[in-house]
Amino acid sequence: MDSKIQKELSELLHNNVITDEVAQKISDYYLSKKTPDSNRLFVVFGVLGSVLVGLGIILILAHNWDHFSRMIKTLLAFLPLVIGQCFAGYAILKKKTKTWREASGTFVFFAIGASIALVSQIYNIPGDLSSYLLTWTLLALPLIYVLRSHALAILGLVFATYYAIEDGYSFMGNSQIPWMYLVLIAAIFPNYLNVLKTKPQSNLVSIFNWLFPLSLTMVLGTFVVQNENLGIVMYMILFGLFYNIGKIPLFDLQKIRRNGYLVFGSLGTVIMLLITSFDFEWDAMIHAGYSSPELEIVIVLLSAVIGLLGYSYVKKWIANFNPFQYVCILFSILVFTGLVHTMVAMVIVNILVLILGVMTIKIGADKMHFGVLNYGLFIITALIVCRFFDTDMSFVIRGLLFVSVGAGFFMANYILLKRQKAASNN
Amino acid sequence: MFTQIKSIYLFLVFVVVALVQLSVPAKMIYDQETVLKTGTLYKFKTQPIDPSDPFRGKYIRLNFEVDTYKTKDTAWVANTPIYVSLAKDSLGYTMIQDVSKELPTKGDYIVAKVDWYSEWNNQLRIAYGIERFYMKETKAKAAEIAHAEAQNDTSKHVTYAHIYVKNGTAVLDNVFINDVPIADVVE
Repeated sequence: MDSKIQKELSELLHNNVITDEVAQKISDYYLSKKTPDSNRLFVVFGVLGSVLVGLGIILILAHNWDHFSRMIKTLLAFLPLVIGQCFAGYAILKKKTKTWREASGTFVFFAIGASIALVSQIYNIPGDLSSYLLTWTLLALPLIYVLRSHALAILGLVFATYYAIEDGYSFMGNSQIPWMYLVLIAAIFPNYLNVLKTKPQSNLVSIFNWLFPLSLTMVLGTFVVQNENLGIVMYMILFGLFYNIGKIPLFDLQKIRRNGYLVFGSLGTVIMLLITSFDFEWDAMIHAGYSSPELEIVIVLLSAVIGLLGYSYVKKWIANFNPFQYVCILFSILVFTGLVHTMVAMVIVNILVLILGVMTIKIGADKMHFGVLNYGLFIITALIVCRFFDTDMSFVIRGLLFVSVGAGFFMANYILLKRQKAASNN
Repeated sequence: MFTQIKSIYLFLVFVVVALVQLSVPAKMIYDQETVLKTGTLYKFKTQPIDPSDPFRGKYIRLNFEVDTYKTKDTAWVANTPIYVSLAKDSLGYTMIQDVSKELPTKGDYIVAKVDWYSEWNNQLRIAYGIERFYMKETKAKAAEIAHAEAQNDTSKHVTYAHIYVKNGTAVLDNVFINDVPIADVVE
């Protein structure tokens, strides 16, 4: 039991706030609730140790020891992998603890990389970095399910992202669309779903809730081949999808810091809107045209958003009107109808950002949440800053606007603070 | 009982996965060894420079002299496979006999890829896929310098690569400066 609770209990007992019996009950409750913390720590250290040793082996082998014969080097290529596999096999056969499975799995992961790397060195097989990363990750992924290892799922996600970025954003001009990324993600996804179902409150879920949107945000750009304007629409819809996923009660009822989807969705939506609040963006956007595969991806993402929104209605998850959830649909209509004049579209986007800012301030005030309140104020400030770049307002008016927004920050926070105090006094 | 059977199944699945994991590097070795043992040796003149790979270490990038081919044919698509038929000049170094989109019927060839085609000078640039020669990390930079120095030397010098070729596959075996292995030159 936590020593802090013990201290509090004895203090409460001493001051006759609670009886001996109650103190005993509280103490029993915490003892029974106690999770095997030391085990979890072992898992973390086991995995960390394996990551470090594995990466170390890769680095040592990357030195290219040229006084070893080809035969010895070949043996060395297999040695770490076979050792790792022996540990993993033993862990499965003897039904060893989670620590064993996670640590041996992580070690095998890096041993696979080391093995392929060393063979490539010995025989001068070039293969670009992306195909090497892809082979490596593909070989390791089945172990997620065989070893029931979450560390491997995280590593798989990280390396899938690494592969996609390496393959998709090439500075040499020969970049390709990393379609295999979708396969890798699909292979990891069942593990994520399983953890979501069985342990929704675990730290692991929170890690995945951030890593998945982060990875998708980073990789989506690799699917933009030639039509950057459609790329903006793709990102807009992706962030809309994230926001709506974040609004599913399973995620929405958790703390904001555990809900990466909501944060990515909200910030991403605001940033994309701010980017498209300039008139030159719309000049290009209205004439975006259609190209493959961008258009198909827009259609798939948009269908996902509409499907999710529809499902949320049926499930009665949507209680209040929240414009963030529909922005991406409205935006797509603006782009694709092509009927709207550049100027009109730009004005609508600006009004949209303003509405989002005001709504966020209102939500912050209603929930008495300073973070949300200031985020809303921040949205409006960002909008004003952006407008200063493309208007011919006099310096005096700009200055006054800044002063009034600054004053607004003080006022809003002050009023909320007073209301919070009043509420706590009642 | 049930869990016992389950864990045995799981173990069998694991054994299969482990064998697949082992088979990939093993297959890589087998393919390369076959060409090295039974392929034909070609000497490619080259100009090495020294980059680095985060996982596989230092290597020198070989810019082969025979990586371009003059052709009037303009229908080349980047990254598509091409067949490069090889021949040897009077000194025994490799020259390109022909580049074609169809499989050659006779002679040695390498399955390479189109890098790009320049209509300006009718040059096709070829990516052989064997441009990396991995070296001990302390030697890669020195190898690049040794090559540059040899080149500045007015006396006759040649940097070339030993490449074995069989059925379209090429394996890079070693790189030489004036007939001395490059790793020994920078010892």
